[in-house]
Amino acid sequence: MTMTTPGTTDLHPETTAFLATVRAHLSDLPEEERDELLDGLEADLSEQLAEGGTLPDPDGYAAELRAAAGLPAGPAARAPRRRKPIKGQLVGAPDVLRARWLELTRHNDLTRTGWSLLETLRPAWWVLRAWVAVTLVDVMSGGYENVTLVPSLGAALVGPAVLVVAIVVSTLIGLGRLWPGSGPDRTPLARLVLAGLNVFAVLVPFSFHYAGSQPEIYRPTYARAVAVDTGPPVLRLGRDVIRNVYAYDAAGQPLQGVQLYDQKGRAIAVAPQSSMGRGAQREVTCPWFNGTTPLFNVFPLPQRSQRYGTCLGHPDPAKVGPQAFQEPPLASLPPATLPAEPTG
Amino acid sequence: MDTTQLLKGVLDVAVLAVVEDEDGYGYDVLRRLRAGGLAEVGDASVYGTLRRLYAAGALTSYVVPSDEGPHRKYYGITPTGRAQLTTQTKDWETFAETVTALLSDTHAVTQQAQPEGARS
Repeated sequence: MTMTTPGTTDLHPETTAFLATVRAHLSDLPEEERDELLDGLEADLSEQLAEGGTLPDPDGYAAELRAAAGLPAGPAARAPRRRKPIKGQLVGAPDVLRARWLELTRHNDLTRTGWSLLETLRPAWWVLRAWVAVTLVDVMSGGYENVTLVPSLGAALVGPAVLVVAIVVSTLIGLGRLWPGSGPDRTPLARLVLAGLNVFAVLVPFSFHYAGSQPEIYRPTYARAVAVDTGPPVLRLGRDVIRNVYAYDAAGQPLQGVQLYDQKGRAIAVAPQSSMGRGAQREVTCPWFNGTTPLFNVFPLPQRSQRYGTCLGHPDPAKVGPQAFQEPPLASLPPATLPAEPTG
Repeated sequence: MDTTQLLKGVLDVAVLAVVEDEDGYGYDVLRRLRAGGLAEVGDASVYGTLRRLYAAGALTSYVVPSDEGPHRKYYGITPTGRAQLTTQTKDWETFAETVTALLSDTHAVTQQAQPEGARS
């Protein structure tokens, strides 16, 4: 665009903001006309500032500019709610930000192409944010389960059905058919709500906990989710973190492949990032598997020596030891019995 | 008296007058107007007027690139603009004379009328 050419980055920031606001007030005009009107203004404003002048109120300025140029009053001027300056600024803020952003994207061909490409990908974002919303519900409702492409939500078909509904709703919002809608012609509240939700949808996936994958065993689409605010689930005995569990039968003999669940049917699992020792002595616990799903609640867990990362990470195969079961801490236990039922 | 209202009516001819001899960019035109005594003229009004005169064909415009900053947009007068300036200057003179005469006559009448009113 003619307004901003490369090499003019030494502008006063207030000039840029001022121009963006004025530009927003002219948003109803054809782009060519707007550029024509604002062309050269940048240089003039810079000179005015350099001479010790101050920038006028951009709202009043835009109105005066329109009036003097023989243009009809702008959209902002027609809106009565712009009377209160603070509120007016808040109402105009999305437009100013939008104008400033679009200004930036017009900086050169590369950013212009990039932005237009991103704009065509908007529907993909609508689908993605729907997925994030359903996955968030999935993660928060279940105790400790995998982030999957199709959220499970506890029962067969419920997850996919909810996901489809969420995608439809998200798309309708994106198309402006459902509140809070999309585009500039909305109430400030609706715009604020949508912006908040979108930012939330961008940030929430960072709270999902993703483990790595072992490519030779399964595809890397698997991940494991926990809410970050509660920390990764860690088994504890008092203050000690439990990193492996050894089960013995009633006769006192060690068992292998015992799947543990608590009274609510939740898996009693050690953390996937569980490790013991340091340096060359460091050992990580490796999961059992149900198909491709790693299970950290089947005991004892095999271990292997590995200096960095987790068993499910992408360790250099040359730098990890063989995976094996450790000797149980106790070879055997005295047998255990239940007291005989009193007969009578 | 609110001179901004008066200014609106004469801004076109004033802008044409200050670019008649030498082309100027927006802020330059503003400075010339202020230096000429129109201290209250608003900058947005001047830019808007320049744009309108340009759209009407009274001004041409061209861009002068600058090494150290954003480019400048200069405005120059066209034959149409000169014709408009000539016409409007005459109009203004006639108008100003009329109003001046009117004001002085009314002034005189009022002064004459006052003693009569005092008498009755």
